Amino acid sequence: MDQTAHPFTVLLLIPTGIGAAIGGYAGDGLPVARAMAQVAECLITHPNVLNGAQLYWPLANALYVEGYGLDQFAAGQWSLRPRRHNRLGLLLDQGIETELMWRQLQAASACQATLGLTISAHEVTDAPVEVQLQMATSGATWGRVVNPDTLLRGAEKLLRRGDVDALAVVTRFPDLSCGAALTAYRHGHGVDPVAGAEAVISHLIVREFQIPCAHAPALSPLPLDPQISARAAAEELGYTFLPSVLVGLSRAPQFVSGPPQSGDITAAHVDAVVVPAGACGGPAVIHLSQSTPILSVRDNVTRMEASAPALGIPTLEVGSYLEALGVLAAWRAGVNPLTLGSGVPSLGR
Amino acid sequence: MTIHFIEAEIDLHSAPLSLNQKVEEVLADHGEPLRWALTRVDSQTQTVHLEAVVTTP
Repeated sequence: MDQTAHPFTVLLLIPTGIGAAIGGYAGDGLPVARAMAQVAECLITHPNVLNGAQLYWPLANALYVEGYGLDQFAAGQWSLRPRRHNRLGLLLDQGIETELMWRQLQAASACQATLGLTISAHEVTDAPVEVQLQMATSGATWGRVVNPDTLLRGAEKLLRRGDVDALAVVTRFPDLSCGAALTAYRHGHGVDPVAGAEAVISHLIVREFQIPCAHAPALSPLPLDPQISARAAAEELGYTFLPSVLVGLSRAPQFVSGPPQSGDITAAHVDAVVVPAGACGGPAVIHLSQSTPILSVRDNVTRMEASAPALGIPTLEVGSYLEALGVLAAWRAGVNPLTLGSGVPSLGR
Repeated sequence: MTIHFIEAEIDLHSAPLSLNQKVEEVLADHGEPLRWALTRVDSQTQTVHLEAVVTTP
């Protein structure tokens, strides 16, 4: 493919629920995305990077792509069709108590009136979803959804209306107000205890319906804690985690499984993948590693221990996202990053 | 539908492309894949630890 015929496209990955030092908290990967969106002409990333609960930052050249959809995109199964405006459906868990339910609806109403989003309809599931939070051997979090079918029935009902292009899902999660895991997370050195379960829920919807989807948990407000980490502070600001989800979904690209049309973005368009150095074991990186330069970032320590060299994946490892930005700028200019240092070897005979 | 969490060890003897195929083979015995990652590499045994979420009807 002619690499100059399409916008310089970067895929930024910070998997959710793996305790990433940067981006593993409350949208704290957003500054990385903002800076990277200035270097890339098109930035593809996922809700974990762009969602800061009440906080978000609209990036005109960033594509908000749910994780399951991202994996299918990287595997060459789906393309991305950019959208100017999605009509949203809001699916709410029957298990959310009345007052907290009203908080979700008011957050959605605020996003309509203040941000100009379109929320076509909302539905309540026909049974409580029931989520159980768990942790894997690696230290990554995940979750068991007791009633996944009620989510799928509710989603189908919304989509049958014909005026919903993307789905926001809000599920009642267990309150962990006194747990050590939650305290560690709020203090900036733990793994997000709800993130893995959230991924399961949105993946279910995307796999079934091939539609943009993102999840916000419904949780009781937490007591004030003066030790809150700045990285986790965005989740302490309000009653819901919904605004950033709705903003992201409002312009999320649609997924296309048939032949791509002009303007659709395929895996072949990706010029670089940026990933934490120890988290190279995800399907997107493994699929793209055969065709696309991988930039791994050492600074962004996670609970994963799957480095590119150990997996046999070719990569350029950099120390920080700041360094990654420099490499991306060089690649975009068609410059070999190694020539930007003083020790450029001469060719010998 | 039921959601299951799977952990397994996979031999690491080939290029990444066949790693995907090996993961898919392992997961196919358990259900339809929803999310997975290779989380740890044991360089001594040349195996990689797989954590995955799958669904069954």
